[in-house]
Amino acid sequence: MFADLRQSISDWIFRASVPETPPVTLVQRRIFILPTKQGYTFAATMALLLLASINYTLSLGFVLTFLLMSMGGVAMLHTWRNLAHLKLRPGRCDPVFAGEIAHFGVTIETPSITRFSIGLRRRADDAVFADIVVGDPASLSLPAHTRRRGLMQCGRLEVFTRYPVGLFHAWSYVEFNLSVLVYPKPDTAAGSPPSLSGNANEEGIPVPGDEEFNMLRGYRAGDAPKLIAWKALAREQGLLTKEFSATASSELWLDWEQARGTGIEARLSVLAHWVIQAENFGQSYGLRLPGTRIPPDRGDAQRRRCLEALALFQEPLHAPLPGDPQ
Amino acid sequence: MSAVPAERFLDVRNVMWLMAAMMFVVAPHMLRLPTWVGVFFVAVAGWRAWIAWSALHVPPRLLVAAITIAASVGTFLQYGRITGREAGVTLLLVMACLKLLEMRTQREVVLAIYLGFFLVMTNFLFSQSIPLGLYMLVCVWLFIATLVGFNRVGRAPTVAERLRPAGALLLQALPLMAAFFLLFPRVQGPLWALPSDARSATSGLSDSMAPGNISELIKSDALAFRVSFAAERPPYSAMYWRGPVLADFDGVTWKMFGFGQSGTLNYARAENPVRYTVTLEPSNKNWLFALDVPAAAPPGSYPLADLQLRSRRPVDQRLRYDMQSYLTYKYGEQIGPVQRGWHLRLDESRNPRAIALGRQWARELQGDPRAILARAIQLYNREFTYTLEPPLLDTRSPYDDFLFNTKRGFCEHYAGSFALLMRAAGIPSRVVTGYQGGEVNPFNQELIVRQADAHAWTEIWVQHEGWVRVDPTAAVSPLRVESGVNAALGPIGVFPSMIAADKLGLLAGMRYGWQMVNSSWDQWVIGYNMDKQRQFFADLGFPSLDWRTLGVWLVIAVFVVGGAVALGLVLRDRPPRREASLVAWNRFCAKLAAAGLPRDPHEGPMDYLARIKASRPGEAADAEAITQRYVEARYGPGATREQLRELASRVREFRARTHTA
Repeated sequence: MFADLRQSISDWIFRASVPETPPVTLVQRRIFILPTKQGYTFAATMALLLLASINYTLSLGFVLTFLLMSMGGVAMLHTWRNLAHLKLRPGRCDPVFAGEIAHFGVTIETPSITRFSIGLRRRADDAVFADIVVGDPASLSLPAHTRRRGLMQCGRLEVFTRYPVGLFHAWSYVEFNLSVLVYPKPDTAAGSPPSLSGNANEEGIPVPGDEEFNMLRGYRAGDAPKLIAWKALAREQGLLTKEFSATASSELWLDWEQARGTGIEARLSVLAHWVIQAENFGQSYGLRLPGTRIPPDRGDAQRRRCLEALALFQEPLHAPLPGDPQ
Repeated sequence: MSAVPAERFLDVRNVMWLMAAMMFVVAPHMLRLPTWVGVFFVAVAGWRAWIAWSALHVPPRLLVAAITIAASVGTFLQYGRITGREAGVTLLLVMACLKLLEMRTQREVVLAIYLGFFLVMTNFLFSQSIPLGLYMLVCVWLFIATLVGFNRVGRAPTVAERLRPAGALLLQALPLMAAFFLLFPRVQGPLWALPSDARSATSGLSDSMAPGNISELIKSDALAFRVSFAAERPPYSAMYWRGPVLADFDGVTWKMFGFGQSGTLNYARAENPVRYTVTLEPSNKNWLFALDVPAAAPPGSYPLADLQLRSRRPVDQRLRYDMQSYLTYKYGEQIGPVQRGWHLRLDESRNPRAIALGRQWARELQGDPRAILARAIQLYNREFTYTLEPPLLDTRSPYDDFLFNTKRGFCEHYAGSFALLMRAAGIPSRVVTGYQGGEVNPFNQELIVRQADAHAWTEIWVQHEGWVRVDPTAAVSPLRVESGVNAALGPIGVFPSMIAADKLGLLAGMRYGWQMVNSSWDQWVIGYNMDKQRQFFADLGFPSLDWRTLGVWLVIAVFVVGGAVALGLVLRDRPPRREASLVAWNRFCAKLAAAGLPRDPHEGPMDYLARIKASRPGEAADAEAITQRYVEARYGPGATREQLRELASRVREFRARTHTA
């Protein structure tokens, strides 16, 4: 209850929640700064040093106390400056399977001087740090545990620093529309797709290898390694891909109805495993889900298309973040 | 540049830096405190460094607690208490050691660094000289650099990456520090009762004197007493305010005799009477001060045989008494053999060279007191320097060390060593402590005597003349006696002896320069107190400044100075504006337009360049350089300030001919 209230007050103060168009520059009014616990301890130390200086009438004690106090004030400016004018862009957010670690990528660059120990974190997660050099944008990636399939939103990011002396914590919030697509966790125990094993021939669907070799074509990014003509490469003919003639009868349909399992998630896991299997065999495959039909094809694009359909199956697009407070 | 997660362990290099900073700050204490404290500190710091180096676990808390108790007991056994300057600093050092030993988290490291700041402060309890101040500044720099190191995450910073930011922080803090120092309303300390040896007896003179006592006292501006004279004020050089007389000598320390033999004030000759009233500040001691020599003891007090006035009760509140003194006098022509023996007593095992020198004089000059005195004065006159910051002396034979090695000292060095030489030469002698001179308040002609006026001189006994006052300090620094301590340590503190020896050569010039610097330091930094602050602002045209007004000025100054520093920082590191490139580009286009080749509104920079190249081959190269830089700055990854400056200067130098090709 209290935590909720705190969160909503902080959301209101820091005007969170509106996704921003990149790049975001941390201008002066976006940066907040407060003393850290160490900063308060430092202030208490200064008070004690001042008392001692007065009591023992130590002029150099006064010099020491005032020097350190002023240093603390200057440190506040340095901490603020360490964050000011940084430019943030969203980076790579590659899809992962549920249970794996997702990475939210953010690129940070500095326009003027080198920034040291810039931290980045999502809410209560551990932070990652980087030094940012002029002309060399740093790519930070925030790890996050995934528990279930769906679109995992990154949410508000906090970019912060305590450099140089840790007396102050300067921070700013950035809200990119960063998200990682989380595929269902493949059910490796599910075996091969039904049509790949057993009575494939009887149903008129060829198993891999039965297909007729057609021609060699130039390699395109995403072609399965199995299809690369390694012999041709050895003959120094360059990277070529073996093209097979796909007949209508050789199409493999991965069907929701055929995936046996208890509940939607279990079925999706089976299908995810089948998609991976089919792709590994270099098989052309299609996917049939209730309300969705993806025509047969192969290659990374097809694999991605199918896994995405599985990930987002019956999932509202802006689902609550897995693992985040409701 | 790759991202790294936050670390959870203390980096070994950071720990080493902390250890180094600690060693630096403790080093000056090692000369002052018992040996075991230094050994203990080095051992613990080494142990901790080894733990960090070999990635071992820190010792269990029980062991640390055991060591803490052992070291505290050691401190108590050493001093018999745990308060007071030496004992307190020892205890703080011990605690710092153990903090170092048990620290495992970043938070504890930071506490250790803050503790280091306290250790810096403790050094000032012993000395506030310029060299020590600079040395401590370096220590603070090291501590801040250590703090910077601990706040870096990821790649360990290089030495420069630690020292430079720390140095920048301190340099930029200097203006603010100066504002605080000048304007922070000063109050007269202490706020609470200090341990008696907190600052070498700020409260006043004590009943013993060893080298170093009075030169510490002299830094205190605290009031000792005030005097208003009934008639004319005697000359400065005659104002010897007599206090404790020390005749019991053990080779290091001069003490009062434990049995204060009361006496009578009978003088064979007593002329030049002076009448005055003394207002004595509380000192919790029994001494009353009077000009040499008192005519009668004020009520509630009695004289001792050595002309000391003793109050029957300790002076625990301000005391006012009327006095009369004779400036010209003669007393004590007759002393018994026992008394004579007391005033000749020496510890033969200490200061052997000084004793040998005294005996040699006695032999050479056939024991003639006048000749021996002249020889001694000549010695001091020739080679010695009067300074507030004398070097530390050998603990066993300090006067040998002073007379034959360091030759730099303060009044207690001169008085102590002189009386010793006299005793060795067979002349009864003793040390008299008290105050010399004072400062005249121009408004009421009152004489203000401060702790800073504390002084020590000697009396020797001469047949038929009795006890005669000799001030060896006057031989070294006549101004000390004629005009006061500030004048003597100031630039005009000319020692005739040195002029004779060096003919105002380079060495002497440097020494005078250094003394002048030291004098200003003592006056404006060390002595900057409530009165000085008031005087400073009165000189600036702000009389009668109270702390409220000062506070307001301080706030204003902090905003102005802090704002200037902030503005400097922000302006220097402001990111170059993209618009700067556009401004330059527009200017370039305007130049070409004036020359008859305007850019079409729809035309992009590259198309425009192509057209310039086609129609103006003469300006093509310049135009290409400008356009490329503009495109990079505006559409590419951006430009640094230098690149923008170059673009602007190229545009400025660009000349387009007006005729068309």
